[in-house]
Amino acid sequence: MKRLLGVALGILTAIGGFVDIGDLVTNAVVGSRFGLSLVWVVLVGVVGIILFANMSGRVAAVSGRATFEVIRERLGPRAGLANLAASFLINLMTVTAEIGGVALALQLASSVYYLLWIPVAAVAVWLVIWRVRFSIMENVTGLLGLTLVIFAVAVFLLKPDWGSLAGQVLAPSVPQQETAWSYSYYAIALFGAAMTPYEVFFFSSGAVEEKWGVKDLAQSRINVLVGFPLGGLLSISIAICAALVLLPAGISVTSLSQVILPVAEGAGKLGLAFVLVGIVAATFGAALETTLSSGYTLAQFFGWSWGKFRRPAEAARFHLSMIVCLLVGIAVLATGVDPVLVTEYSVVFSAIALPLTYLPILIVANDPQYMHEHVNGRVVNVLGMVYLVIILVASIAAIPLMIVTGAGS
Amino acid sequence: MLNTPAWAPAAKGRAHGAAGFAILAVAALAFLTGCSGGTGQSVSTAVKDSSSAVATARIALRQDMEGKLTRAAASTTLDDELKEVHTSRSTVLKLSPASQEDRDLQKQALDVLDQCAAGFATARAALATSDGGSPSLSDGDKALAGAQDALKQLEGKVGDK
Amino acid sequence: MTSASAPLPKAPRAGGRILDAQLHLMDRQVLDHDGVPVTTVDDLEVSGPALDVNIEPGSPAPVLTALLTGSVLGTRIFGGRPPSSRLIRIPWKDVAEVGVVVKLGVKGEPLDASWVERWVRDKIIARIPGGRHDPR
Repeated sequence: MKRLLGVALGILTAIGGFVDIGDLVTNAVVGSRFGLSLVWVVLVGVVGIILFANMSGRVAAVSGRATFEVIRERLGPRAGLANLAASFLINLMTVTAEIGGVALALQLASSVYYLLWIPVAAVAVWLVIWRVRFSIMENVTGLLGLTLVIFAVAVFLLKPDWGSLAGQVLAPSVPQQETAWSYSYYAIALFGAAMTPYEVFFFSSGAVEEKWGVKDLAQSRINVLVGFPLGGLLSISIAICAALVLLPAGISVTSLSQVILPVAEGAGKLGLAFVLVGIVAATFGAALETTLSSGYTLAQFFGWSWGKFRRPAEAARFHLSMIVCLLVGIAVLATGVDPVLVTEYSVVFSAIALPLTYLPILIVANDPQYMHEHVNGRVVNVLGMVYLVIILVASIAAIPLMIVTGAGS
Repeated sequence: MLNTPAWAPAAKGRAHGAAGFAILAVAALAFLTGCSGGTGQSVSTAVKDSSSAVATARIALRQDMEGKLTRAAASTTLDDELKEVHTSRSTVLKLSPASQEDRDLQKQALDVLDQCAAGFATARAALATSDGGSPSLSDGDKALAGAQDALKQLEGKVGDK
Repeated sequence: MTSASAPLPKAPRAGGRILDAQLHLMDRQVLDHDGVPVTTVDDLEVSGPALDVNIEPGSPAPVLTALLTGSVLGTRIFGGRPPSSRLIRIPWKDVAEVGVVVKLGVKGEPLDASWVERWVRDKIIARIPGGRHDPR
């Protein structure tokens, strides 16, 4: 019974923790502008993240080492430093976006201006990282994030024409008012939102935090194989909600308030309460994960002592670097830049950085010195190579498309 | 057998030099891309963004009237969309139209956007006063509907060009 | 690879393990006696003749004297060399085991290599309430 509960908890946490501000904003924007014609990208992204999360979890569980420790050893300090610089900067952008997302959601709930919530959110993130145990942190934010299932509920309550929805998903086409360029640009953005790079660092470091061993591999595989697709369905339902309510009204999403209007339309004030709790929990959880990822990447590259399982005094530089990250995030948001804009850029830059983060994982997961007999099987390697090609194409096409479409406008 | 791929660091170093340069180029080029496009194009974008904002505000007001949306969420939505209208207005204001036709278009666009802003003012006032005060929520909705019609007319005019 | 005209003399038998400095030592994590990470190996200090000096026949082979960390990482990637007095060393005699990670036989806390960690701990982290709280 206890095992069953443990399995269920793992799956539920994976579902609730899947969506972050990047998924929320990008899926809503795409749904409001392109309808359901980009849903296939979410599916491709979900398979990709299952593949790589599985690999990075396996690397950590079998070798006891987290990703970035191994990147430096295998690729050398120069490549490792380049990887670190790019990953760290994009991580920082994502931290900023997530904290902005928490503040925006709290503004929607309370009407207090979001700038006032930003220091509150950042301090709360820091406090949880400082004091709360890793497993409690993951479980609470993951379970609360499950309230985002209200998006799926709202889809049903809005009584859509399922036939036409299915048609849009299965036979995607560029809508009349958009161009093929913006379609491709948003495909890349959606891909970057689904395959968040920080997930790899967080997943593998989390495996070390929770002291996974080979016997935990089965549990992690179930979490990922069941939880992530359901999380992907949540993302898709955000897009469907936007497509059902905002697209016909000619609204293109530019703020978080527009993302929740379809839920209010379908499910009223109760739905609104659920979605606001869900957004706060999901973005708060993602803020925790990205902040920790910043600390993990720095500490693992330079060889510092790290981990939430250690006293802060025993992992001083690790905690200091995270405090600095949060301060930088507050400073950037305090300039008044629109957090939704930061989010939209962060997902595209995440897509650009994907080859950097996934190639080392693929290399290490094949290395018998770390993995012993748990090296990648042939199927996983084939899929991994296919996805590497997809990731490279997306990464290379991102910047030209950004220029051509004016960042999607 | 341990084997550090010797090519990887050098290749990545070069790739990263190129990537860094590309990112610098983006900022410049994206800025330029945003600047280009004549008066008609800019007005058209401003009209599209404002239509989206006004439509959102109308949905929010309707949901508030139907009891589906909290006051806090509705007023936050209106504030967000008003910001959108202001941004569009300042974009149109900053245009330097070349021909008399473009100048007329700019003036028309500014008038319509002012009407939008006035509609928003009515709607926000309606949300701020408790039930029964004036203006009422339906007054706010009417003002926004008028702004929406004006935007549609302007859109048609710009589209004809 | 040049082809030899005569077979090369056999290499002298060496006791113990043969390690490749680049593969087995460089960029490896260094853990202390209790398994707490100390740093990564950023560079190696090898004794022996200096650069640009002719090697006298019969001079002793270079010996690995210390693992280096700190600013040598920057000079290793970008070029240059810090002066010998500024190098942060972990003496080779402190190394207990070389495997996937390099394990020391001593505690990491009093080492030279941990001075930044000690500084940050004492000046910043320990001053924040709850800094010494055990999270488990």
